[in-house]
Amino acid sequence: MAFFLETLLGGLMSGMLYSLVALGFVLIFKASGVFNFAQGAMVLFAALAMARFSEWIPAWLGMENLFVANLLAFVVAVAIMFVVAWLIERLALRHLVNQDGATLLMATLGIAYVLDGIGQTIFGSDIYKIDVGMPKEPVMMLESVFEGGILINKEDFIAALIAALLVISLSIFFQKTATGRALRAVADDHQAAQSIGIPLDRIWVIVWCVAGITALVAGIIWGSKLGVQFSLSTIALRALPVVILGGLTSVPGAIIGGLIIGVGEKLSEVYLGPFVGGGIEIWFAYMLALVFLLFRPQGLFGEKIIDRV
Amino acid sequence: MFYRENGQFKTSYKADQQVFAIPQDRWAIFALVVFAFVGVPMLVDEYMFRAILVPFLILSLAALGVNILVGYCGQITLGAGASMAVGAYAAYNFLIRVDGMPALAAILLGGLMAAAVGIVFGVPSLRVRGLYLAVATLAAQFFCDWAFLRIKWFTNNASSGSVSVADISLFGWTISSPTDKYLFCLGILVVFSVMAKNLVRGNMGRQWMAIRDMDVAATVIGIRPMYSKLTAFAVSSFYLGVAGALWGFVNLGSWEPAAFSIDRSLQLLFMVIIGGMGAISGSFFGAAFIVILPIFLNQMLPLVGSLLGLQVSIALVSHVEFIIFGSLIVFFLIVEPHGIARLWATGREKLRLWPFPH
Amino acid sequence: MTDRTHSERIIFHDAIETMEVDFSSMTFADIAQVDAVYDEIERQLTATGQRWFFLVLYTDCVIAPEAWDRFAARGKSANVNHGRGSVRVDAKAETREAIRERAGKESFRSNIYDTRDQALLALGEMRKRQRDLAKGADEVFLRVDNVSLRFGGVKAITDISFEIKRGEISAIIGPNGAGKSSMLNVINGVYHPQEGTITYLGEVRQQMSPRAAACQGIARTFQNIALFKGMSVLDNIMTGRNLKMKANLLQQALWFGPAQREELAHRAKVEEIIDFLEIQHIRKTPVGRLPYGLQKRVDLARALAMEPELLLLDEPMAGMNVEEKQDMCRFILDLNDQFGTTVLLIEHDMGVVMDLSNFVVVLDYGKKIAEGTPDEVRADPNVISAYLGASH
Ligand SMILES: Nc1ncnc2c1ncn2[C@@H]1O[C@H](COP(=O)(O)OP(=O)(O)O)[C@@H](O)[C@H]1O
Ligand SMILES: [Mg+2]
Repeated sequence: MAFFLETLLGGLMSGMLYSLVALGFVLIFKASGVFNFAQGAMVLFAALAMARFSEWIPAWLGMENLFVANLLAFVVAVAIMFVVAWLIERLALRHLVNQDGATLLMATLGIAYVLDGIGQTIFGSDIYKIDVGMPKEPVMMLESVFEGGILINKEDFIAALIAALLVISLSIFFQKTATGRALRAVADDHQAAQSIGIPLDRIWVIVWCVAGITALVAGIIWGSKLGVQFSLSTIALRALPVVILGGLTSVPGAIIGGLIIGVGEKLSEVYLGPFVGGGIEIWFAYMLALVFLLFRPQGLFGEKIIDRV
Repeated sequence: MFYRENGQFKTSYKADQQVFAIPQDRWAIFALVVFAFVGVPMLVDEYMFRAILVPFLILSLAALGVNILVGYCGQITLGAGASMAVGAYAAYNFLIRVDGMPALAAILLGGLMAAAVGIVFGVPSLRVRGLYLAVATLAAQFFCDWAFLRIKWFTNNASSGSVSVADISLFGWTISSPTDKYLFCLGILVVFSVMAKNLVRGNMGRQWMAIRDMDVAATVIGIRPMYSKLTAFAVSSFYLGVAGALWGFVNLGSWEPAAFSIDRSLQLLFMVIIGGMGAISGSFFGAAFIVILPIFLNQMLPLVGSLLGLQVSIALVSHVEFIIFGSLIVFFLIVEPHGIARLWATGREKLRLWPFPH
Repeated sequence: MTDRTHSERIIFHDAIETMEVDFSSMTFADIAQVDAVYDEIERQLTATGQRWFFLVLYTDCVIAPEAWDRFAARGKSANVNHGRGSVRVDAKAETREAIRERAGKESFRSNIYDTRDQALLALGEMRKRQRDLAKGADEVFLRVDNVSLRFGGVKAITDISFEIKRGEISAIIGPNGAGKSSMLNVINGVYHPQEGTITYLGEVRQQMSPRAAACQGIARTFQNIALFKGMSVLDNIMTGRNLKMKANLLQQALWFGPAQREELAHRAKVEEIIDFLEIQHIRKTPVGRLPYGLQKRVDLARALAMEPELLLLDEPMAGMNVEEKQDMCRFILDLNDQFGTTVLLIEHDMGVVMDLSNFVVVLDYGKKIAEGTPDEVRADPNVISAYLGASH
């Protein structure tokens, strides 16, 4: 029982991280209809920037303080992600307005390649550390309830907390602020939004910036856990089933989908994996999403659309 | 000889429906094929065959498959590598498990098996479109990656996880030298290209394009989306399966699942985008481009670097390759969604009317 | 003016229910001459007390431009009051053009043939079709009963019933958003209504499926042109033949043999349609490059390639200039006449609707507010207020 709970909690926590990446997808899709395959590349790019600047800045300034270094690096990384967002809008998306979804998707594949290439050219392609002072030691919890308690990784716990915080603040941003409402208006109807004077291109830059920040946070959390390396860009692939499950247009969907996939992956790996040779979590999530798609093509929370002719 | 259409009137629908309606085109293609079979083997060295021509031929075949699905039927796929893997491993198993199985038959059976699997993974396309479908095809990709790595039966319990095939032979012709391999692959490619062209210019191709361009209108004139999409998946996977089997049997000789990973899928997709979606010739252009560019960069970048006094590492070359591929994808999607094939066609059109543009 | 009296030029062939009028070598110089001839024709027709097919010979007939409008109007009114359809023989180029133009403007069918024999043959077909229609009259061709359709909370159609007769041209009119397009979509199975039934060719259904509709001869065009934009005009129209093509995948891949024969046979048929709609010159053009009016015509061509029993046209003339509209009118009338196709169309131009159709259904806010002949509908107070209310 305790073991099951442990697995479950582990699943929930990694699920929270998936939600974070999925959120990046949903934000961009909602506002611009772009299925952003480059989200993973953005995570890698952001994490690389963070890792390298937190190394370089102390060296340049000749100081030792880890916190200040990290803070400065974070600020620089945010700035870089804004520039990236702006460039993407300027150079690619602006010229692809009104193209169909598949074309946009392929374009973001191209963008992903460019980001991967540039990121590694500038920042290098080794494995780098991000040390933001996350506690590494595991803790026991609920010792009173179960014999021996359950073992939880403090780092995971904090990461999940940060992710949850970000998700909540983004939801508030969407619901309460003027910009957020404008974003939602754009999402509902591009033409209408344009006609009441919402500047589409600016909105898109903003969305990409926000997505850039979520990428940065995800990159930091993941990077501090596993190290910053090329494989980080594949976490987008891990988060895709989440988006499918939750529906491309739903923020709550992204969160719940992330949790379901996180838990499903862990449970399947632990309880099913041994029978089929292990390593199944990567496709299991996809299969889960796929089976789900067959019954609800629009995802958990997506709206059903009947084509107009 | 003048390259002119003027004055050549078609006298029947049959003449009008030929693949190359202009005799000059027909002759040029014919000459090209003859040259490929006879001239090239006399002119080219082994390195050229091994590093460029054989991969180019096989990847062209694979790109044809992807083009049928993505370019003609409009169903995006990120799982092309999986179909190649199914083809390769199925062919391998047919070859080693069935006594006296001819290699060519094994390759074709591999293709058929890929088609069958392709149909299964095409089923989501009936319910979901575009973006969601891309994800569904990724599922196929990851599942196949896993299955060929972990299920030992597929690899005949090879301890290293990699399988190998000795030189294959065809009606007593042992295909061992690079020239043999080249001719073998060329033969298959020519036959398959002709069949692909026939399919896309006929009823089936029109149904695919109808589904691609406007699926509601297509169903209203009686096209069954399920049938059209699944045939596209089947035909496409068949091509990919055969290409996968060739890639394993002929190009690599021994291989691991990584040979057909998601990188391969993306590479194939890029070939089709750059080469030209919805054009048979686009598959060849794309494959040529993708095969040649890395080789070209590998030669050129260090040269350029040494001129500038910079040290160009192998890693840098591969990063530059990424950047170039990525930018070209975006560039072509924005500027010419029909890729190199369209640029070529436009150029030829100009030539056709030259020197009188109107 | 003439060497024969007017009455000598009029012959009644009782066996084939046809009145033959011989205008050969006649000259209509002014309105008075037109009236003189047509007064005589109408007198004789009235005397018979029945309806006739008209066979009109135009060999070397000359009609002065100032007489044309009168000529067309009298011709049309004769047909409306006493006619069952007309065929024309051997009009000279300018006369032929003028007839075509008037046919578009005044909404009658041009039906011009080179020889009398050809015209008689066409007449025979026409009679046969009308006989068949009379025979099948008791079978319901198309009827919708109490159909309601909702999208979430939006009621697109509420409890609508009407019936369409075989061989007629009917129209649905109503302000924007009234549910007209949705109605067509229900009939050919693109939308599935929550309530009600659709009866087509005697078969009652809860909902149609697009494929079943297509197989049973329902074709349609779209309000916002839904052509296959990556294909040429020819390929677009060929796609309309897909249900009739039988070669299997392997045969198609190999091309020679059955696949090629089939392709050629259907190509010939498609060429007929291309000729009929006068779009020979754009055969090979990608549809995306065509102007709007021609795209609409290609849309119609694709639908015709299915050789439909019932043709649904969603605003076939929207966005067209006057000339294009006239052409389109002529095509609709001609295809109704020559192929016996039943037509149900949506159109905003009231003039066109009144001229073309035998029967009109009026929708407003998803409800049926009137139905009947064009004249009845025009006089209906509900319709008047709906149209005034919608600022038409
Ligand atoms: N596919 C659809 N999804 C949602 N609402 C629709 C759809 N098609 C039509 N509607 C709604 O149904 C109503 C009738 O539309 P329509 O039939 O297109 O009107 P009309 O053709 O008479 O202008 C409108 O309010 C429209 O918004
Ligand atoms: Mg409408």
